[in-house]
Amino acid sequence: MTVSTPHVEAEHVPVAGPYRRMVKLFFANKLAVTGLIILALLLVFCFLGPLVHPTDQIHTQLADANLAPGTKGHPLGTDDVGRDVLGRLMIGGQTSLEIGIAAGLLATLIGTVWGAIAGYAGGWLDTVMMRVVDAGIAIPALFLLLVSATIFRPTVPVQIVIIGCVSWLVPARLVRAEALSLRSRDFVQAMKAMGGGHGRAVFRHIIPNAIGTVVVNATFQVADAILLIAYVSFLGLGVAPPATDWGAMLSKGISYTYDGYWWLIFPAGIAIVLVVSAFNCIGDGLRDSFEVRLQGR
Amino acid sequence: MTESPALAIRDLRVSFGNGGNGGNGANGGDGGDIVRAVDGVTIDVRPGEIVAVVGESGSGKSVTSMSTLGLLPRTAEVSGSIQVGGVDVTTLDAGRLRAIRGAEVAMVFQEPMTALNPAFTVGWQVAEALRLHIEDMSKKQAYDRAAELLAMVGIRDARRRLDQFPHELSGGLRQRVMIAMAIACEPKVLIADEATTALDVTVQAEILDLLRDLRTRFGMAMLVITHNMGVVADIADRVVVMYQGKVVEQATVEDLFARPRADYTKKLLTSVPRLAPGQRRARTRAREQGEAPALALDNLVVEFRGKGGGTNRAVDEVSLTIGRGEVLGLVGESGSGKSTVGRTAIGLIKPASGAVRLLGEPLTGAKGRDLRRLRRRCSIVFQDPASSLDPRMTVGDCIAEPMVINKVGDRGDRDDRVAALLRSVKLDPAVRSRYPHELSGGQRQRIGIARAIALDPELIIADEPTSALDVSVQAAVLDLFLELQDRLGFACLFITHDLAVVGLVADRVAVMNSGRLVEEGPRDQVLFDPRQDYTRRLVAAAPVPDPAAQRERRAQRLSL
Amino acid sequence: MIRFLAKRFGQALVVIALVTVIVFLLLHSVPGGPARGILGPQATTEAIAAFNHEHGFDRSLPEQYWMYVSGLLRGDLGESYTLNQSVSSLIGQRIPKTLVLTGLSTLLALLIAIPLGVWQGRRRKGLADYAITTLVFIGYATPVFFLALILVIVFAEKIPILPVQAPQAETLAGLFADSRGLILPILAGAIASVAVFSRYMRSAVLDNLAEDYVRTARAKGASERRVVWLHIMRNSLTPIIAMLGYQLPVLFSGALITESVFNYPGMGLLFWNAAQTSDFPILLGSVLVIAVATVVGSLIADILQAFVDPRVRGAIT
Repeated sequence: MTVSTPHVEAEHVPVAGPYRRMVKLFFANKLAVTGLIILALLLVFCFLGPLVHPTDQIHTQLADANLAPGTKGHPLGTDDVGRDVLGRLMIGGQTSLEIGIAAGLLATLIGTVWGAIAGYAGGWLDTVMMRVVDAGIAIPALFLLLVSATIFRPTVPVQIVIIGCVSWLVPARLVRAEALSLRSRDFVQAMKAMGGGHGRAVFRHIIPNAIGTVVVNATFQVADAILLIAYVSFLGLGVAPPATDWGAMLSKGISYTYDGYWWLIFPAGIAIVLVVSAFNCIGDGLRDSFEVRLQGR
Repeated sequence: MTESPALAIRDLRVSFGNGGNGGNGANGGDGGDIVRAVDGVTIDVRPGEIVAVVGESGSGKSVTSMSTLGLLPRTAEVSGSIQVGGVDVTTLDAGRLRAIRGAEVAMVFQEPMTALNPAFTVGWQVAEALRLHIEDMSKKQAYDRAAELLAMVGIRDARRRLDQFPHELSGGLRQRVMIAMAIACEPKVLIADEATTALDVTVQAEILDLLRDLRTRFGMAMLVITHNMGVVADIADRVVVMYQGKVVEQATVEDLFARPRADYTKKLLTSVPRLAPGQRRARTRAREQGEAPALALDNLVVEFRGKGGGTNRAVDEVSLTIGRGEVLGLVGESGSGKSTVGRTAIGLIKPASGAVRLLGEPLTGAKGRDLRRLRRRCSIVFQDPASSLDPRMTVGDCIAEPMVINKVGDRGDRDDRVAALLRSVKLDPAVRSRYPHELSGGQRQRIGIARAIALDPELIIADEPTSALDVSVQAAVLDLFLELQDRLGFACLFITHDLAVVGLVADRVAVMNSGRLVEEGPRDQVLFDPRQDYTRRLVAAAPVPDPAAQRERRAQRLSL
Repeated sequence: MIRFLAKRFGQALVVIALVTVIVFLLLHSVPGGPARGILGPQATTEAIAAFNHEHGFDRSLPEQYWMYVSGLLRGDLGESYTLNQSVSSLIGQRIPKTLVLTGLSTLLALLIAIPLGVWQGRRRKGLADYAITTLVFIGYATPVFFLALILVIVFAEKIPILPVQAPQAETLAGLFADSRGLILPILAGAIASVAVFSRYMRSAVLDNLAEDYVRTARAKGASERRVVWLHIMRNSLTPIIAMLGYQLPVLFSGALITESVFNYPGMGLLFWNAAQTSDFPILLGSVLVIAVATVVGSLIADILQAFVDPRVRGAIT
């Protein structure tokens, strides 16, 4: 070769690190930031609220039943056995959020590992693992959950495990699709050519590169888990009293629809809508920032 | 210059603002700064003239071509004028712009695989191009005309093709359909934006012939956007060289190649690898005798499960050997099986039959420790440096990975080695803490090479290592590769579709076609005195960056 | 094509077999075993022992599974001890009603969601897009029962124009005779689905907008409307079909809620009542039937997609 080009390469070189750029994009998304703020407020409300507004949620005071909002000491009124609705909203929210977040994360964890292994392995192992997922998905989660609720006594940890175990299927499918395309990518091939093993491929290359899908889906999983737990409680098979959650509160309130006791229905309903939309907004914002990062490559 | 130009671009400036709403700005940089993609470009194309716009990535050549049809994203700010037949398209409203698109100015794009709508038949799409502009044309008339157009662009059996979907056609045929669509309304200006880049050289030659033929038949003005100097030499009357959004030189094709004036043009022309005998410098290393060859393939057969359950023979009884310290160039067109041979040679794909011996030991059937020990002594460099480096790992981790996997040295040793490797590929050791996407394509490929030589391999499989790079970057990377090969003396299977690149690096050349080995021999013999028809056609189809020589080669090829 | 169909049918059969295993295992995890589950909580120990022997529940698990499956193949889903009727006849009466309800609300949802999603995709990042996205998110986040409740309060209580309860007729014809009562249940189901479908359509349109063929169509001189409603629509509809297949379990879950709120006499209500009374034969029978319906539904969706999309069709012939 006759050329001795000093390698001055006139190509565009971005300077920001990958995560900093992502965080910036996330915070530029108004919807995502709104979601984050709503979530933070709700967390503060549910977990720190009882310190400011302590209430007795164990004992019933039938004398104070169905007080309207604005009554002294009961800003949101009381329910049919005289418990303060505002305070009940806080402890009910604790249950909903705890179960939702823990179950969502559990589902994501199981689904990610399952999907990554199936997609990376391919062949018959993939076929077997995915047929199991198909079978699980074919049974609607709510039905399975109701059956389980009649079999096992529904406590918070039991609910977490059961919801986690019925909702890992969707993330498993998503991660498997991702792993399937990642395993043929050159950097995985290069690693194999260097003599790297399957464990390294799955945990060092495939899962970190599927992290976008995983994180985004995790937020949706939490949102769905909160909805699911609300449905189960609404149908009367949620956590056993005196514990409660938003779905159960609404379920009780429904019998008073025609009495005009709106405060037994709307606060809990709106709380569910708020928290679920907050998680969805966050997930959507995350998805956008992950995608742009990938485009910028 | 008596005739008025069919297309006149005057002082065109295009910039992409970031608009401030985050996201969506694939072209935008960070933090709302403005990227000026095209900066004062003036180009005239007269009827019947072919003007080539040449430049590397980021030169603004494609943005220029897109703006002639008003196809830029909304974030683009355009100033200057673009006259088509006396009308300035930059001032037109959406409706009048549509009346011009396809009717006055038509365009052929790079990716024939994705540029056609997969959900409609070919006939429907060509007919649509007609019916959008010719109002009183019935459906039947449009389909009849579509068949004529397909025949005109050299598609045999055009009637039958009308009912086919794009995925049922080969890349070359799809590009012909695109051209048929573009000439449907006999536009005054045809723009071909990298129209042959994704095609094999033999197909490329046919498409270039077709474009030339259409020019003489319809007297269209053609603007050919390309990065390939060979294509320029083959087809252009005049050439516009672009660099970073500006025109650095405009000249007739003969003048440009014979007497380049701008420094950038000179640099570009010297960077283009040329096919000429006896280029490879004398080997500084004497080849050791009596050692087992670095790689020996014996009757290798590789099969993939094809559509509908049948098997598809990707590699068909290929036997090859590469001596220690020798570079064997393996050339072939897409689908020839050359990459499959490379991947099978290093054990990434299992052969259906035949044997692979690496450094004298059998790879086929090797398991566990034996396999790992063998793999330690060879490595692979891939075509696309963007996808061969894990985007989630830092450059340092990428380079250290082979050492980590093979448990070589401790952390300190590895750190030292990474720094030394970065220096030997002429990069600053400080880039180790960066992520691959922060680097340019050329830098990434250097990192790919650094990783490949990390364990001092005796054999490197290089799979199209420079095909994704701009020519000037390619020249520098090839230089580096040759220097390292001289110094470290590894043997190499160099896989490429580019004959000129093979001419630069290889000691011996092997040619593959549809899974079979067609010809093999010393470099000069295969490239300049080929024995097989296929090799002859391949060599003849590759355009050379010299208009006079290319004209001769074209005449020769057409008589072949 | 035949190969593809055979493979797809084979897969569906395997999945159904796995479902029966899951349901069988569930039956055995009922506290007190299947006998307690089938005879009900009041059964005496002697009755349980006798029952176990009579029905072979003292044999090995694989043997029992075999008996269970052969029962299924004869259409035997067991007997409900609370309703004293065979589960298959109970389900047989109810399932057409549930299909009518889900079918109509899904159809309505598609009719709204497809144009909405396409329209949003075209106007990405615009004010209207943000507004609709917010609405869609809220729609998605609203539990169906809450939504149903709001509909009831608005349309049956505040402006009393529609009945609160769904028609209680035994036959399908009876259902339609009282069609005003169907409006609220259908609407509740549809609003929830609109959120999912339109989101899906929007992203399909956005994906397609970035495709090269869109640029080609524009370069030909096609109008933006033509590009979106013809070129992109044709390519975005096929994934919608596949998505409907995936969405079936969610639709059935939604039906369960709607039916229990509006007291609509479908599978969902049957299931819910059974859950209240721990009537396991009905619970597990319904789960099985719904799972099979889901598998068959996604099988149909896949095959349909293969017929509609030339690329898929090309890949399998």
